[in-house]
Amino acid sequence: MRNPWTRTGNYKTSYAQDTTIFATYSEQASLVVFLVGMLVLPRFLVRGDMQILDLILIYALAVLGLNIITGYAGLINIGHAAFMGVGAYTAALVAPHLPFWAVLPVSGLVAAMAGAVVGIPALRIKHLYLAIATLAFQLIFEWAVGHSPALEQGGAMAMPRVVFLGYKVGFKNHHYFWYYVTFVVLVLMAFAFRNLLRTRFGRSLVAVRDNDRAADAMGMDPGRTKVFAFALGAFYAGVAGALYAYWSRAVVIEDYSLMISIKFLAMAIVGGLGTLVGSFFGPAFLELLDINMETFSYAIKEIYNPPGVDVGSAIRPLAFGLAIVLFLIFEPRGLANWWRLLRSYFRNWPFKY
Amino acid sequence: MSYFFQLLVSGIVVGSVYALAALGFVLIYKASRVINFAHGHFIAIGAFTAYALATSLGLSVWIAAALALAFTAIVGYFTERIFLKPLVGQPIISVIMVTIGLASVFGGLIHMTPYGSGNFSLPDFLPEGGVSFAGISVSYPQLLAVVFTGVFLAAFGWFFQRSTVGIAMRAVADDQMASMSLGVSVEKVFALAWAAAGVTAAAAGLIVGAISGLNLEGLVGIGLKVFPVVILGGLDSIPGAVVGGIIIGILENLAAGYLDAYIPGGGTGDVFPFLVLLLVLWFKPHGLFGTEEIERV
Repeated sequence: MRNPWTRTGNYKTSYAQDTTIFATYSEQASLVVFLVGMLVLPRFLVRGDMQILDLILIYALAVLGLNIITGYAGLINIGHAAFMGVGAYTAALVAPHLPFWAVLPVSGLVAAMAGAVVGIPALRIKHLYLAIATLAFQLIFEWAVGHSPALEQGGAMAMPRVVFLGYKVGFKNHHYFWYYVTFVVLVLMAFAFRNLLRTRFGRSLVAVRDNDRAADAMGMDPGRTKVFAFALGAFYAGVAGALYAYWSRAVVIEDYSLMISIKFLAMAIVGGLGTLVGSFFGPAFLELLDINMETFSYAIKEIYNPPGVDVGSAIRPLAFGLAIVLFLIFEPRGLANWWRLLRSYFRNWPFKY
Repeated sequence: MSYFFQLLVSGIVVGSVYALAALGFVLIYKASRVINFAHGHFIAIGAFTAYALATSLGLSVWIAAALALAFTAIVGYFTERIFLKPLVGQPIISVIMVTIGLASVFGGLIHMTPYGSGNFSLPDFLPEGGVSFAGISVSYPQLLAVVFTGVFLAAFGWFFQRSTVGIAMRAVADDQMASMSLGVSVEKVFALAWAAAGVTAAAAGLIVGAISGLNLEGLVGIGLKVFPVVILGGLDSIPGAVVGGIIIGILENLAAGYLDAYIPGGGTGDVFPFLVLLLVLWFKPHGLFGTEEIERV
């Protein structure tokens, strides 16, 4: 007799059963518990914590997009923050005229167009060459924004205040409001991300990553797939950029610089490339590491603080870089692999097997 | 017209720095197919080591420079041994990311010293003034930069054509399997390539120090400018690195000289190389001298 709550054996009799996301009721139940937990979480957090949580969720959304481009399609993207920036600047330009729930998809679509344009070289070049092309896009984007008077030359562009169903978002509820917005958007887009691999397009993404010539021979169009991958990943980044703009109340070019692009790549790697949970673990791990290192640098300043040295600005990149290097050398599959190991340990718990 | 030639001359000077920096970059790529995002930090390490030795120990600039070259070579060697060797055979993204991570680590370490922020200039070791020819003036540091680059390239040319180690390195770049079966230690060649890249990077940093002074951001920025240079010249071509470096240097200076007036805020020179990079990638992805990869299923 099959126990629907745990995996007691292989009872799969159809293809649909084999590709299902939730094999057991307990997996569905734990997801519901997790979602409800996330919904009530803000009640127990203070404003400062909410700010960090918002940031992590917004970054998670952007990293999901990067995971489509780099994780699924295998196209190294060193310009993801620029896609996010395209979304953010679109949001800053259209926000005075549109309600916020319309601004998000518009920003996403504009970023997707930018993504498709950046993806065009992928028709011709790949691997390292493509990575360098995205790097060039990132630098050209920063320069172009820095020289556009319409975009305040990279300075602060203020975002308007949001009124939603007669509910004014002000100083006190700002982070709580955007937490829920980000959360809803993130759940929807994570759902799409998880299901992407079960679609025809998702399969061709992976096929093209693994061997684009073989994929071509099997009737897929590698060029189109790559351009679409860029567009889709950039859409995620664009929505994240719009959310970031609202959340930080202003659009500044520093938030979309090469440093941030590198941060996204690091988050994707530390979390585990091409995994859904990794897209959450990566941003959470690196952001918390960054915050803790800032606190830690005060402790170091007590011991080592020579003139002309800013320990704070030294220790943070140091920890960030070490995290990347150590993960790559010792756990290339990232935090998602630890999560997998943990889950498989508890799968039949408390029984041994 | 003399304005044009003045821009051309300063372009050649900047270009020779790029050529040196790109040379090390190409060496690493040729030997081990690794793109080194930490190259700008190697440049910074070399330059600041020389500066620290010259100012705090009071060594002459020439001795400090020689020691800095050696030190950066050692840094390069151990970087390969410790961080790159475990990743042999891993996907490209891992290798790229490890060099990005290393860039961050080096950046943090440099910030731990007083050289992380602010501008520094090497003690004067050349006479003031310069040579003037037909209305174009070239200062002694600039002249030195070009001569130094020339000497360096000649030395490397000799190294690769004549010395056993250099020939072994070329063999590995050509065919790893075949060179391994002939008794070349591929591992050692990888590490040596990184050491040689460290030397050239440090040399580039020293020249920047002689021409315009040292600043961490500026030195690391050269590490980014290397990308247009190597793409234009061809990722795996040493003559390409030199030619590409000079061309990018000249284009950058001409763009800054003629276009800045039309663009609010200026700074055209910073972005122009990357526009060139995109154009090259679109129309001639393997650059001027790079080998075209032919792929089979």
